Amino acid sequence: MRIIIGYGNELRGEDAFGVDVIKELQKLSLKDTKLISVFQLTPEIVLEMLDADEIIFIDTCSNEKNHYKLACSLTQQNGLNLSHHIAPKTIIYMLESLYDKRPSFFIYSMMSSSFDEIMDLKKYRECVDIVVKHLLD
Amino acid sequence: MENKKIIIDPVTRIEGHAKITIDLDCDGKVEDAKIHVTQYRGFEKFCEGRMYTEMPAITARTCGICPVSHVVASTKAIDEILAVTPPQAGINIRKIINLAQILQSHTLNFFHLSSPDFIYGFDAPKEDRNIFKMMQTHPVMAKDGIILRAFGQKIIEELGGKRIHPTGITPGGAAKKIEESQKEMILKEIPNAMKIAQGALKYFKENLHKFQKEIDSFATFPSLFMALINPDGTLEHYDGVLRFIDSEGNILEEGIDPQNYKDYIGEAVEEDSYLKSPYYKPLGYPMGMYRVGALARLNIASTCGTPLADEELKNFKALGGGKPVLNSFYYHYARLIEIIYAIEKIEELLNDDETISETVRRTSKVSKNRGVGCSEAPRGTLFHEYHVTKEGVITAVNLIIATGNNNLAMNAGIKQAALAFVDGNNITDGALNRVEAVIRCFDPCLSCSTHALGIVSSKIEVRDHNKNIIKVIERN
Repeated sequence: MRIIIGYGNELRGEDAFGVDVIKELQKLSLKDTKLISVFQLTPEIVLEMLDADEIIFIDTCSNEKNHYKLACSLTQQNGLNLSHHIAPKTIIYMLESLYDKRPSFFIYSMMSSSFDEIMDLKKYRECVDIVVKHLLD
Repeated sequence: MENKKIIIDPVTRIEGHAKITIDLDCDGKVEDAKIHVTQYRGFEKFCEGRMYTEMPAITARTCGICPVSHVVASTKAIDEILAVTPPQAGINIRKIINLAQILQSHTLNFFHLSSPDFIYGFDAPKEDRNIFKMMQTHPVMAKDGIILRAFGQKIIEELGGKRIHPTGITPGGAAKKIEESQKEMILKEIPNAMKIAQGALKYFKENLHKFQKEIDSFATFPSLFMALINPDGTLEHYDGVLRFIDSEGNILEEGIDPQNYKDYIGEAVEEDSYLKSPYYKPLGYPMGMYRVGALARLNIASTCGTPLADEELKNFKALGGGKPVLNSFYYHYARLIEIIYAIEKIEELLNDDETISETVRRTSKVSKNRGVGCSEAPRGTLFHEYHVTKEGVITAVNLIIATGNNNLAMNAGIKQAALAFVDGNNITDGALNRVEAVIRCFDPCLSCSTHALGIVSSKIEVRDHNKNIIKVIERN
């Protein structure tokens, strides 16, 4: 099963990118895919991912120089952490070390410097559409 | 030797952002220590001008870990403004959600934030003293923490609508009734949750003997304690009246209506921190230092009112020999007892026929221009005070957050630990970890307490008296 999880705060401008991608995907009928939309990643969410062969994280990444650029790597992600909210890598680590699960995983991030409002709705929607299209291909 | 200053910035494995400075004298001995909370968001100010109906949703955003507490306090303040008493079912739903949050919050602190210290010891290499090592060496414990926290979060989601920033608690009661299927789903998970909680308590007690020096020096001193309590002396997290006791167990103030909290609590401001310093007014600042949270609640309550928690409460109270337990290290113990209490109480409330009644909410209009909402959050007593126009527009807001109540005690605590463990001539990671660990005893939520959003990373700086950095310790 493929799990696509979008996370972010809808009240924080472009931080809602992951959540908005999930909203678009929910309009479609995706086979063998579980869609999850959350405010932030938390430790217990790992329990919803035990059956995943592939996990795709979608979020917004703070980056002032590359606004509306899309990235598909782990290099911009935080390292391991664990508090009341956690990084994608931590979830993958938990799946491996605690549950012996080794799903493949990807992270789609939209670079943004605007966490108060959506600066350019047209560009923002284009980014949403690109990621949706990419996930469908 | 010249004077030096040690700075721990940020403090790790807590919620939010803070730094610690430790001043050394010319001989390298600790002279003073302080915690500085370094961020600010200003909720009290930007809420002015909003409609009172927006306050639960806005103030819930103060925090991502204890939003339920803010929603509860906020709706209780609005209940006062509306002069409305929620139906019993609405009150019970609020209580269950509040207890579920206490359960999940306490679980996170024990299993994921503090357990590395208990498992590996405070002097273990920092590479080993973290949750990721614990997942390797103690996977069952790590998984238990995930399951127990998921249980609490599931209850919040089912009854409150969302795990984070739930909308199910509304002025006048609750948004919707509990369905039979929801009740059964939660009840079904109670036995496993209790088994995990009791296992954690057993582990903690079996390992306590390793930490006698920490027990003696982690914020162990006389202070006042404050908490909500029922008139019959039982533990209370939602209703009740406020009580202050001193370090001998004498009741200083009894039966305080939370609406009158300002008659007893003052708020001092220090120039080096955004975290205010509440104090007990009759004793003044800073003599009026008091502690809140699980330790205070169990010191003040004579019983929990549930069988398993009461059984353990006897052992807890025995530590004080008939007087309040003064060792902040036992906050961990108290939180574990409260987890057991929360599970028992949730079961009791769910089995109360009133809880699944159809009527969960009453409505009204603005009847008063001021309301105070008070509840026990995981970290202690929380106050929301709102002033409104007759049209319901907010004109003033005052928030006293649980962690803020503990500010004076946390400062006294890190100074005590620094004096006990830090040697300026041989600064060890273990010593600095202990100073941080004092703060973790209080499980502060600095995001809440300054109404500021923090990012936890890991860096310790050591500076000389000219503020030149002479040593940096990276924790990650």
